[in-house]
Amino acid sequence: MGSPLSLHIAFYIGPVAVSTPVLVTWVIMLLLSGGAWLLTRRLSIHSSSRQAALEVVVGAIEVQIRDTMRTDPAPYLPLIGTLFLFTFTANWSSLLPGAEPPTAHIETDAALALIVFFAVGYYGIKSRGLRGYVATFAEPSILMIPLNLIETITRTFSLVVRLFGNVMSGVFVVGIVLSLVGLLVPVPLMALDLLTGAVQAYIFSVLAMVFIAGVLGPDSETKQQEGK
Amino acid sequence: MHFDWSTLVLQTVNVLVLLWLLRRFLFRPVVAIVAERKAAAEKLLSDAAAVREEAQAQRAEAVARDQALTADRDHVLADAHSAAETERAALLAQARQEVTQTREAARITQARENADMRQALEAEAQDLAVTIVSRLLGRLPSGTIDTVLMQSLDGWVGSLHADDLRGLTEDDGPLVVTTSGPLSEPVQAMLRQRLGDGTLQFKIDPSLILGIEVMGVHACLRNNWRADLDRIAKELKQDDKPIILA
Repeated sequence: MGSPLSLHIAFYIGPVAVSTPVLVTWVIMLLLSGGAWLLTRRLSIHSSSRQAALEVVVGAIEVQIRDTMRTDPAPYLPLIGTLFLFTFTANWSSLLPGAEPPTAHIETDAALALIVFFAVGYYGIKSRGLRGYVATFAEPSILMIPLNLIETITRTFSLVVRLFGNVMSGVFVVGIVLSLVGLLVPVPLMALDLLTGAVQAYIFSVLAMVFIAGVLGPDSETKQQEGK
Repeated sequence: MHFDWSTLVLQTVNVLVLLWLLRRFLFRPVVAIVAERKAAAEKLLSDAAAVREEAQAQRAEAVARDQALTADRDHVLADAHSAAETERAALLAQARQEVTQTREAARITQARENADMRQALEAEAQDLAVTIVSRLLGRLPSGTIDTVLMQSLDGWVGSLHADDLRGLTEDDGPLVVTTSGPLSEPVQAMLRQRLGDGTLQFKIDPSLILGIEVMGVHACLRNNWRADLDRIAKELKQDDKPIILA
């Protein structure tokens, strides 16, 4: 097992190098997409136990979006849900022998944070318009524009560093202990790593919701109250 | 530490593709089926509410119909009772009227029969009286009858009022003296003396039984048993009072 900070190239597709995190990500995509397709093939009003479990998961995400963003969760469910499911699955992919979580590599975390960064801009412009979204950088005072711009960038970096640091450190610690002690001793640390991974997936999703909700206009909350 | 930009791009694309895939195969179908179930539940509740309202409306309608039927039944019973009462009263009135008419008819019939019977009895009594008197008189000697007749005529003529005699004799017409039997010369002489020796004409009518009848132009004097019997029969016809013979 190499260093978590190093990136192992699995193979090349022409000039494009396919690293191990990308390969694991594809496996995760295959599992999530294939599982979703299998589970949603025969949805019915009279739900089975598997369908009920699936609806519970989706419903829990919806409830979390509604409670956090105070708005209708429908427009944000695919993004937030995907971020959570992918981050959660990626963090727990260390359970597979030989697999290394893609989120333990900064490129994956940066990709996720980049998506959140652009999603914030997209939903801000969609909700307030371009002028309204730009005006949010001047709140509460025009003097805050530099700080707000810096904050927009730094909080994106904080997303990257937080997720990368927690997951990478877990993998690092487990790898060190495993190399020093051997069998069974790293198991508690791996369990702790799983807990950390679940918490970090939740935190990443909640922060994404907070950032998006911060740029939404006041109409969204009104619509939410009217929707209720 | 090395940052691989190609991995960043690939992972970004991967996450975006995964976003599309999960949106296509997970979130949209699940949200749709939940919404469909919710709509079905709401429709079910709405249908149940509609059915309940319809049931309540039908119940109210049934109650109203029952009340209307009860009212109609009471009305029909009241009408039937009233009609029966009216019919009973009409039948009673008709029966009373028929009874009254029957009684009146019976009374009239009875009265008529009584009158007819009385008349027949009277006629029979009159005939019987005539027969009895005729037989009694037939048993008497003729001289006795003449004597009695003459005394009777003498007394009767003597008792006549002067105005009656004047009414008979003041006209120039003849006086017709009708008797039940032939008058003897002394009796005729006495009558000529009393009634005036004018134009007396003597006739015989056995139906007088016994007595005399003097008829002038404008007046008539009767003193015979037939006249008496006729007077008695007339009085009997006028009222039911017993006849008091003088």
